[in-house]
Amino acid sequence: MKTILKISISAFMLIVVSIHSNAQLETGSLLIKGGTVLTVTKGTLESTDVLVRDGKIAQIGKNITAPAGVKVIEAAGKFVMPGIIDAHSHAALSAINEATSPVTAEVWTGDVLDPFAISIYHALGGGVTTIHAMHGSANAIGGECETIKLRYGTKDADALRMEGAPRTIKFALGENPTRVHGGGNNIVPRTRMGVEFVIREAFSKAKEYGAAWDKYNIAKTQKNFRGAPPTYSKRLETLSEILKGNIIIHCHSYRADEIYMLLKVCEEFGVKRLVFQHVNEGFKVAPELAKYGAMASVFADWWAYKFEVYYSTAYNAAILTKNGVVTSINSDDAELMRHLYHEAGKTQKYGALTDDEALSLITLNPAKQLGIDSRVGSLEVGKEGDIAIFSAHPLSIYAIPMITIVDGIVRFDREKDPDDERIYVDPKEPLDAAFYESDKSYIDNCMKDAEETFYSLFELN
Amino acid sequence: MKNTFRQSGCKIILVALLANLHIMTFAQDVRILPAVSRSYAITQVTVFQGPGRKVDGGTILIKDGLITAVGKGLTIPPDATIIKGDSLYVYAGFIDGLSRIGVTKQKEEVPKEKAKDPGNPSNEQAGTTPYIDVRNLLNPIDKPIEEFRALGFTVAQVVPYGGMMAGSGAIVRLDGNAADKMVIKPKSAFYAEFANAERVYPNTILGIMAKWKELYKQASLTKSYSSVYASNRSGIESPTTDRVLESFYPVIDKQEPVLFKGEKNLDIQRILSLKSQLGFNVQVAEIKEGWDLITKLNAAGSKVFLSLELPEEKKPNAKTDKEKEKDDLLIVPDSVELKALQKRTDDFTAKYVGQAAAFNKANVPFGFSGLSVKSKDVIPNLRRMIKAGLSEDAALAALTINAAQALGLSDRLGTLDAGKVANIVISHKPYFDEKAKVKYVFIDGKIFETGPPVVDKSDKDKKSEKP
Repeated sequence: MKTILKISISAFMLIVVSIHSNAQLETGSLLIKGGTVLTVTKGTLESTDVLVRDGKIAQIGKNITAPAGVKVIEAAGKFVMPGIIDAHSHAALSAINEATSPVTAEVWTGDVLDPFAISIYHALGGGVTTIHAMHGSANAIGGECETIKLRYGTKDADALRMEGAPRTIKFALGENPTRVHGGGNNIVPRTRMGVEFVIREAFSKAKEYGAAWDKYNIAKTQKNFRGAPPTYSKRLETLSEILKGNIIIHCHSYRADEIYMLLKVCEEFGVKRLVFQHVNEGFKVAPELAKYGAMASVFADWWAYKFEVYYSTAYNAAILTKNGVVTSINSDDAELMRHLYHEAGKTQKYGALTDDEALSLITLNPAKQLGIDSRVGSLEVGKEGDIAIFSAHPLSIYAIPMITIVDGIVRFDREKDPDDERIYVDPKEPLDAAFYESDKSYIDNCMKDAEETFYSLFELN
Repeated sequence: MKNTFRQSGCKIILVALLANLHIMTFAQDVRILPAVSRSYAITQVTVFQGPGRKVDGGTILIKDGLITAVGKGLTIPPDATIIKGDSLYVYAGFIDGLSRIGVTKQKEEVPKEKAKDPGNPSNEQAGTTPYIDVRNLLNPIDKPIEEFRALGFTVAQVVPYGGMMAGSGAIVRLDGNAADKMVIKPKSAFYAEFANAERVYPNTILGIMAKWKELYKQASLTKSYSSVYASNRSGIESPTTDRVLESFYPVIDKQEPVLFKGEKNLDIQRILSLKSQLGFNVQVAEIKEGWDLITKLNAAGSKVFLSLELPEEKKPNAKTDKEKEKDDLLIVPDSVELKALQKRTDDFTAKYVGQAAAFNKANVPFGFSGLSVKSKDVIPNLRRMIKAGLSEDAALAALTINAAQALGLSDRLGTLDAGKVANIVISHKPYFDEKAKVKYVFIDGKIFETGPPVVDKSDKDKKSEKP
């Protein structure tokens, strides 16, 4: 009798636990049958099934029988790959740049997530499942960023977060911060030297700040302590967390000299977790990056949109990869994000990367750069059920993304593609069946909000 | 005092003044006797004491600003001014949860030239002025006060104009009296909205969220150190005094709620996120897109004020020539695409209009706020909400007792019961009736006869207040 009671109690508790976790995060189960499975880490498996249960990959193999109630997706003749990860995006955010100060480490894009952004759905339509929703590049030290999963359809901003993903922060070198603050407001930084100074000064202050708080926290434990706490600063607190190794730097950069400069500054302050973004001249300092363990997230072949971005090559990703730098290809753009698989394919033309190397650029490697590679980035048992199904090999120019799955839930299905993906509709918005947008492709996407504030206002153009 | 003489009926006023009584002002030539006592009897009326509590042919007695009795067959005191209310309908005075009527706009502080260091603006530039007290900005003869009073509003929670933390609000009577005498509850709330600063920090919602968290933590630290210092000042540094941080102290102590304007769904999500991180008590007001957040708002213990503004109803062929021209360029009239888009717009308009009914259906109490509504739209919008499924009782509750409860004043306001303040609306038809018109309004036992609502000027004023 007692045993029965115990069993039923534990069964009851199990149910309670699963309900509780479901309330926090919606997950699904499904079986993908008979596709060509591109695991990225464990080779390519022909006519293989992938079983996802409660949001996690439970089994990969042949002739898996669908458990009762689990939906089956027939994928014979199709290609099944890990969901694409974009290490540089500004989608799903209500604001991108707090461009009013050269250092704004206290702001956080996780505060301004927008689950209603249609760009989430568009990205899913390109097989993307996880993005790094970043602060812009107007400031030498911008804000903290948020790694999100594209759980399109949710109305809850918190439900977009990839819970447990490491903290990251945006830095920016070169023309953007010098133009906004030096050119726009006549304050430091006006030059690349100034950018270095701003970062060094910020780190130095953060070091003092962290020490002051450590001292206070120790003193506080003593009996009859009545001293004043140091003045709280969210900015310096965040910066001191970088110095403690708790936040990964993602630094917008183009030129080799400035990239090498930040390597040196980070080395001096003991900061090890460092990813360079754009890094068009990364090929010039690839061995130095590899030696430091710094990573690189690049465009496949996008450059010449401003002076500092002329010295570039489509071989950049391949050169970095061959030098042992963990490299990814990013979009920085809601449209480019929809064909990152094409962007990865370009490295086979320019640099002859293998299929797995090329696919790693948009899956496992960006996962490493975001510190989430133990959870996503390849198709392995135990990893999260984020999967993209393509009509042909994703590195083929003929590939079309068919189905995109996040946590075992189908979030995009080409067969059931709605005409109007807006989740919320503003009744005051005028009705337009067509939509004009002026060509602003010459402007760096990282500069949204900042361009508006500073460009038009102070006529910087 | 001079201002009252602008109105007609000077003689009546003089009498009232001599008696040291409340001042009555009439827009029209009215045949109400001057108040020789503060005693009134409203007789033979249909009394809605509260939602669902109706008395036919009842009488209400008022003395010294309070309701002394409500019911049938009451003895009318000999000193009472009698208002014969045959066929009139009587309600408790309405309460507006968030408004700027009667509030003077401060001078624009934004300099024309760009700031020297946009990262370090003054409090005025940044919009972090929680130390401003709306009581210093009250204008009792502001035109919209009269307009809203004519709709039956007797009390409003008003807040200063400004940025992300504009200042403290106050609950005031809409009785056109001297500024200080209007105030029922000073510092009723710490008012906040997601209003970014111009050209300086915080220029985006990113900066506003960070600023909230930083100031709150700074205030908590300064507050606790100040109390250490106050207990024994010897041997330790004196704490810095800071007007901004000190304004947070009653919020941290939960003596003062944060009154947050949260129109859109995402605004409300962000408010609730700040609330859960920082722990303050919150009133979310001017809600327009709240239908998906009813459970969340309720779970957070938030007080709720729904906006009285609604999107306009679809008016076919009401387009300007310019719009028509654009349409010709872009869309085939009556195309499948256009019809589908129109349907989604209509569906969402229906959600806005049905919001109050949805809150009521979920048993989540709410009041209303009139921050952005034009006075002429208030009654039509209430009728639209009722047509969309809100019961008249629920609408009345929102206008009266629920708002009083949310503001912590239900012991004094919100129903017609003996002992409560005599804030009363008298309508010549049931209030939500198509042809209803408010005839008299009592505020604190003082009678106002209301003319037809004047709208022209308020429309202009209201426009300037929109973001």
